Amino acid sequence: MMRSLRWSLALLLAVIAARAEAFPAFARKYGMSCSACHVAWPIFNQVGQNFRDNGYQFGLGKDDPISLSGDYVPISLRTTAAYQYTRVTNQTSDAGPITVQTGGVPIPPGVDILTGGLIARDISYLVVVTGFSPSDNASFMESAWVRLDNLGGSGWFNLRIGKFELDQPASSHRNVTLTYGYAAYGAHPAGSLVQFDMGENQVGLELDGHDARSTTRYSLSLTSANGGEGLSGNGWSSPMLYGHVQKSFELPSLVVPWVRVGALGAVGWWPTAFAQDSSSGGPQPIPGTGRNHKNFYRGGAELSWLMGYPSTPLFWTVAYLYGKENAGLAGDGSAANSFNGGFAEVDWVPFSESSYDATPWMFFGRYDLVRFQHGPGDTDGGTIGARRYLALGPRASAAIHVEGHVDKVKGVGWTDGSAPPRDVQTQAFMAGIDFDF
Amino acid sequence: MHTARIAAGAALALSLAALASGAAATPPDAAAAARGHKAFDRYCVSCHGVAGDGRGPTADFIDPRPRVLTSGIFKFRSTPSGDLPTDADLLKTITNGLHTTYMPRWSAATEREREDLVQYVKSLSPRFTTDPQGKPITIPPPPAVTPQLVQQGKQVWDKVQCAACHGDGGQGDGASASGLHDDWGYPIRPHDFTRGPLKVGDAPEDLYRAFMTGLNGTPMPSFADSISADEAWALVFYVRTLRKSD
Repeated sequence: MMRSLRWSLALLLAVIAARAEAFPAFARKYGMSCSACHVAWPIFNQVGQNFRDNGYQFGLGKDDPISLSGDYVPISLRTTAAYQYTRVTNQTSDAGPITVQTGGVPIPPGVDILTGGLIARDISYLVVVTGFSPSDNASFMESAWVRLDNLGGSGWFNLRIGKFELDQPASSHRNVTLTYGYAAYGAHPAGSLVQFDMGENQVGLELDGHDARSTTRYSLSLTSANGGEGLSGNGWSSPMLYGHVQKSFELPSLVVPWVRVGALGAVGWWPTAFAQDSSSGGPQPIPGTGRNHKNFYRGGAELSWLMGYPSTPLFWTVAYLYGKENAGLAGDGSAANSFNGGFAEVDWVPFSESSYDATPWMFFGRYDLVRFQHGPGDTDGGTIGARRYLALGPRASAAIHVEGHVDKVKGVGWTDGSAPPRDVQTQAFMAGIDFDF
Repeated sequence: MHTARIAAGAALALSLAALASGAAATPPDAAAAARGHKAFDRYCVSCHGVAGDGRGPTADFIDPRPRVLTSGIFKFRSTPSGDLPTDADLLKTITNGLHTTYMPRWSAATEREREDLVQYVKSLSPRFTTDPQGKPITIPPPPAVTPQLVQQGKQVWDKVQCAACHGDGGQGDGASASGLHDDWGYPIRPHDFTRGPLKVGDAPEDLYRAFMTGLNGTPMPSFADSISADEAWALVFYVRTLRKSD
């Protein structure tokens, strides 16, 4: 029962949490089209990646607030007004297994409010407040960080502190899919105490760097793994070390003109025992007393490439992710468990006739896969969709977004106790307008 | 309109001169230009416009205004005054951007895209199919910087009347500054030498090049016919003493 509910909750959260960051205030600041920095909003191209790596700077004397007109406002707003439908099978009820369906237009839809840019030369920041919808039931701080850029005058050393997105093979906050995120990022063995989700923003420090064109990049992060903030009874709660490197190459080919490879690794320590408080009913673990930490690990590799001309490409990303959680992290003393997972994604931005919206279409598809060493939770998922950009100019963006998703998660559904839990199949559809100002 | 006609007349005269000299034009590579068109639409149209006429939707909000690429008149070149830039000149501007303007550096775009953009930019102006591209001027090695050289540079500054536009202190506030316009009739301000690098770079060679090639389409002339190489270097190092901040 609880396990089924947990999976349902996780799926619901996936729908809600899939909003992405994009920042038209930068387009307004520099008078540039969104397409200058995005393969198609919101996915970065190399120019956008380099701009972000440089601390939201082009470095030509027009970046910091003093060099700007005082009427520039570094605030953006994003929301997606859409019809959403979700169907989930084999949910537990008093009457046995049932299929639940939800549909409608969340009113008001969730909203991201973003402010970011430069405080001064080489001091950048980003604050994102998100939520505000009935389904979120609250607003929360999705991102809040400040970054000291180009330490020692070198792009190889930048220090970020706050709540930020880990550097990933594909960004969870700038991905194009709006129904479900990358399954492997948030995968855990059944019953795991660990709440770490690689796709969620983490709180801590990041040292990162890159060469002049961001063809070689690295990041090293020390964070409290998300969900574990404030749990441990030591100087750094639920610590996690994370590292990611990327290297891209330009090839003398019009078929595959650009390739990027990357690798990541992470090790975390999660508390498994707490002091208890029974003064208000049953025993409750007391935050700040966590001890007896057990390790969890992530490792992975990625390959991205462009097919066709770089300005109007087929953009492919294939990522592999391995995860392991030590014995004791399941909370019931069960053995260590691990998983292999990943995704393959393609985003296609065909060229049309010359205009201010020269890339009005985007088609995308992704396959997600997770396989556990033992236990339930093996996942297969597919997502396809299209975006028709109504505006992709230097002031704001809007796109009609249509997306469908289906996945199957093994062994997490209804059971009567005499047979293994059934598989859960989820189908989701959304159609609406995604806009960003 | 009057200045535009003058510019067109000058371009025609240069074309006729080129024909008379027998130098060959180097038209854009058609295949590369076709590819560059896609890159142009992705990166450039919001400022330079779909037609490359400098009238993109944000052009009115940008100071200095984006270049009118259809004119074949380019400020930043290594070639003599009035000449077309080399492919390398165009690539340099695209790659490095222009300091204190809204022309960003596109160095992170792929090398192929930037090279294709050069060919597409050439395809926007008929001048590249009729006129030869200029040859880069020769920049001799800089001399040792001495107080005497800087003093000589001040004399050159006075000789060619830099202060008329740039002001006595080089702050861009000379007597003529407020009335200057570019070839398209838009107001233009002389560079403030006290506030840092030129738009095109911060090396002494960048100043030397600007003095000896001029900035086409602007009131900044070339002094190649009025000062020697030694005098130009002296002027470079005098101007660099005017800087008060970075």
